[in-house]
Amino acid sequence: MDTFALFIHYSLITIKSRFQYKVDAIFRSLAVFLRESASIIIIYFMLLKFENINGWNIDELLFLFSFIFFTYGLLILFFTGFRDFENMVNKGSLDRFLLRPRGLVFQIISSNADWFAAIGHGCLGLVLFIYSAGQINVDWNTTLVLYCIVSVISGVLIQGALFLFIASLSFTLIKVTNIRNILYWNTRKFAGYPLSIFHGSIQFLLIYIVPFAFVNYFPAQFILRKADLIDFPIAYIYIAPCVGFVLYALSYCYWRYSLRFYKSTGN
Amino acid sequence: METVIEGKRLKKTFKISKREKGLFGHLANLFLPKYIHKKAVDDISFTIKKGDAVGFIGANGAGKSTTIKMLSGILSPTEGSVTALGLSPDKDRIEYVAKIGAIFGQKSQLSWDLPIIDSFDLLQKIYRIPDQKYQENLAMFTKILDMKSFIEQPVRQLSLGQRMRADIAAALLHSPELVFFDEPTIGLDVVAKEKIREFIRYMNKELGVTIIFTTHDMQDIEKTCERLIIIDQGKKIYDGTVAGIKTHFGSERKLVVKFEQDYDISEVAKTPSIKIISKKDRSKEFLFKNEDIEVKSLIQYLFENYQVSDLTISEPDIEEIVRDIYDKGI
Repeated sequence: MDTFALFIHYSLITIKSRFQYKVDAIFRSLAVFLRESASIIIIYFMLLKFENINGWNIDELLFLFSFIFFTYGLLILFFTGFRDFENMVNKGSLDRFLLRPRGLVFQIISSNADWFAAIGHGCLGLVLFIYSAGQINVDWNTTLVLYCIVSVISGVLIQGALFLFIASLSFTLIKVTNIRNILYWNTRKFAGYPLSIFHGSIQFLLIYIVPFAFVNYFPAQFILRKADLIDFPIAYIYIAPCVGFVLYALSYCYWRYSLRFYKSTGN
Repeated sequence: METVIEGKRLKKTFKISKREKGLFGHLANLFLPKYIHKKAVDDISFTIKKGDAVGFIGANGAGKSTTIKMLSGILSPTEGSVTALGLSPDKDRIEYVAKIGAIFGQKSQLSWDLPIIDSFDLLQKIYRIPDQKYQENLAMFTKILDMKSFIEQPVRQLSLGQRMRADIAAALLHSPELVFFDEPTIGLDVVAKEKIREFIRYMNKELGVTIIFTTHDMQDIEKTCERLIIIDQGKKIYDGTVAGIKTHFGSERKLVVKFEQDYDISEVAKTPSIKIISKKDRSKEFLFKNEDIEVKSLIQYLFENYQVSDLTISEPDIEEIVRDIYDKGI
């Protein structure tokens, strides 16, 4: 409770600090929303040329996209500090956190919560989700709602685990920007589309290496049950809500282990 | 007196990868990295008691920052152990750092864009400071550090001296028993420096806070600390009172004599322990060691043999001694 109150206090401080430049603060959310919407609009018009992609129509594809945006909105609320961790080490903020009587991960999360960008990404995800689910006519019931909520959390944790892992690498490698770009941003570009359209190697990448498939494809398939699901083990749609929790736990252990290198090498 | 910090045979070795030249070297380095082990801190032991004010000095790269980082729990020692306030700074981090404060002259812990009072409020939450104690401390520091006029202003609008005072208050709001000051006067003007020293002295003497101080400014040390630890190349080369350093290192004295006429004084220099360091017309400067030559007999000798019009003896100041140590080592 005390920890949660502190998270809120940190957030208020960050928001207040951004509001020192009022116009910029307001435009930040809008800019993120519009920038990401533009990419969706382009994809939308391109996809209109096709009847469907591997049996997925345009609304189903938007449904698939909505998971990516919505989870990213939550992700940058909690994991911006790890995404940009390299700078933090270079600026010496980590030493400052080590000198304060709170958990390190908690401080990194709380002091970097990017509410404005999160609102931009999150709103886009939500708009897409509500619109596409409405078009598809999803037959909602309690199980489905619960499944969706847990899958979204798991999807956030999958990406969070990846950021945490890359952040841990920066203790030994110092510069990790390019590793992050390759592992995260490049792979994310594939993740907007149905897994089945890709070559086997890319499928392998998206399932086992950088498991974006569990962020959107398998959760969406739990609801949509498109025919191409036959290409993959059916069990994957059931384990999707757990993947994030497991990966995050593993990443966290690696983080604890790597921190020892920091303490023994300094900066 | 109760022991606050006990450092036993502290060693810290950094592994630095050795860069090879040329393309082949780079490739070789990638697959078979070679490391050199640099000893930043090499077998340092000391005890610090409650209420002490201890200055750490040393040239850049001498190992004092590394030592301070080990004492504050940011780094773990490679060998040896630190016990501070009955805890291990490294293993009991959260419990330990709640009881200490740290101020870094180079880095602020205040939010750049926000009024400093907002940063203080956040620190209250982080350190779980009870409301009453927080208000008391805040009122006290606002008064002593004279922060009333700028406490509502964001850091970006403050002068360096004001920022430093705010940073000091920020590190002390939770009433730490032990405070580390890492170059707190760096870049400040004389007046601002004096204010900070005064406050540190007050904290140490009136509030009984134990203080560890690093600086390059010897005046900081002379005005705030009784005890001085000098570190050079990872080793402790002096640990004692500030006054004691003069007898320890500064045994050379300088004698400046103005003669009535331009004598040839090579005779004087025949005594092996007297050096002539400058000859300018009638004015000559001699350097000699206390233990070798008795001042009285030297002066007597000069008066007996030459016509002397003026004469001064000077002892080197601490600043000079320390500069000497930095330059030459021991």
